[in-house]
Amino acid sequence: MALYPDYPIRTERLTLRPFTRGDVDAVYAYRRREDVARYLFDVALSREECALAVQQRIGQVALEGDGDKIILAVELNQIASVIGEVSLILRSADARQGEVGWIFDPDYQGQGYATEAATALLDIAFGPGDLHRVSARCDVRNGSSWRLMERLGMRREAHFREHALFKGEWDEEFVYAMLRREWLGRRN
Amino acid sequence: MTSLILPIHTDRLTLRTFERGDIDGLCAYHALPSVQRYVFSRTRDRGEIAGALKIMREHVSLQRPGDTLTLAVIRKGDQALVGHVALLWADATAGQGEVRFVVNPAHAGQGYAGEALAALFDLAFDHFRIHRVFARSDGRNHHSIKLMQRLGMRLEAHYREHALFQGEWDEELHFAILDREWQRSTKVRDLPIRHRVA
Ligand SMILES: CC(C)(COP(=O)(O)OP(=O)(O)OC[C@H]1O[C@@H](n2cnc3c(N)ncnc32)[C@H](O)[C@@H]1OP(=O)(O)O)[C@@H](O)C(=O)NCCC(=O)NCCS
Ligand SMILES: CC(C)(COP(=O)(O)OP(=O)(O)OC[C@H]1O[C@@H](n2cnc3c(N)ncnc32)[C@H](O)[C@@H]1OP(=O)(O)O)[C@@H](O)C(=O)NCCC(=O)NCCS
Repeated sequence: MALYPDYPIRTERLTLRPFTRGDVDAVYAYRRREDVARYLFDVALSREECALAVQQRIGQVALEGDGDKIILAVELNQIASVIGEVSLILRSADARQGEVGWIFDPDYQGQGYATEAATALLDIAFGPGDLHRVSARCDVRNGSSWRLMERLGMRREAHFREHALFKGEWDEEFVYAMLRREWLGRRN
Repeated sequence: MTSLILPIHTDRLTLRTFERGDIDGLCAYHALPSVQRYVFSRTRDRGEIAGALKIMREHVSLQRPGDTLTLAVIRKGDQALVGHVALLWADATAGQGEVRFVVNPAHAGQGYAGEALAALFDLAFDHFRIHRVFARSDGRNHHSIKLMQRLGMRLEAHYREHALFQGEWDEELHFAILDREWQRSTKVRDLPIRHRVA
């Protein structure tokens, strides 16, 4: 499997496209915040760390082998600026498994933008990407993230308790997933 | 941590590390298709089983994460090898352990797996101070699922078609139990009939 999507990807209100060097400030506006970092593996980022993260993302635009990532900037057309990011990781090319993730600027949450961007990403993952199953994971306390998974039609497959330490505390995690046939069934 | 004292005795069983002489007993079940999923090395014949035995004979204690302790389950009396249980130390800082277990189908249905696992859980939680023990099983393995539930394990994950196993879509369950959830009451044995009142 190899996936090189055509960019940009346009939805009703949004444009999904590869990151560019000019995106550092927009990304820093949300990645610097403690409330955004709370359930992410990363802590809140400094501007330098943000510049480095953006630099890495510039090349993360296609999937070929296990572990490859597509990370896209999500632009709100109305204001022509970046309000968040979505990611798709190839977990197994053999078994056609992927994992999605999302981070949005709190100033633009609660309006369905994450749902709209994730839907476009899943269309790519199950369409041209031909993945068989896509999963997502989050802390059980991260209600906005798992509610988003449920809005997308993902099923809760796992609820792990105290299976790891996360930021110095026992972790409790949900894993959600969806199969290709379930996604196509919803989209038709 | 005090030093590990083996063998472990339960009512009907002895749990000890594997020995060279276990090869015949192991050949009776190791290469069976229903068992292959739950063993460390895939085997088809006696030569490969001898290789698997050699590896399991080295699984004698848990010194560092990644280590495995594998114990042969021996029936008291006739000293038959009825199966084996294993504890893998998966993660040190978070105290995670994984158990695997297999019983020779010729000796199944007699509660040996449960008896051996109860002893292994005591060892994991009391001796090795493990915080959480988990086990993975095929989603269609009803005997094993019932057994884990009877031991008080919770179903934590039910993955569908998350991987290919022997060329087919796989279904996998994870069961887990925390140290504070483990009911050590299994240690309290039933009194023999003659000691019961009335
Ligand atoms: C997870 C995250 C992306 C979700 O963002 P979000 O804005 O809640 O998600 P959406 O854009 O889909 O918006 C959905 C919310 O808007 C509401 N909404 C308003 N208009 C909507 C529309 N047109 N369509 C869908 N939902 C709409 C929904 O009711 C929902 O509200 P609710 O969660 O209170 O029920 C966001 O909280 C975030 O970035 N968190 C920090 C980073 C993080 O933790 N990422 C995930 C790590 S696992
Ligand atoms: C799963 C397994 C370990 C169970 O071992 P066991 O010693 O038979 O366990 P028990 O005697 O407690 O039996 C468990 C249940 O399975 C039933 N059972 C197990 N094997 C059976 C057999 N061959 N015929 C009929 N019933 C059987 C028992 O009656 C019991 O059912 P119950 O809960 O209704 O009483 C054993 O079947 C096995 O080794 N299977 C292959 C490897 C495997 O599945 N490992 C599990 C890894 S998660």
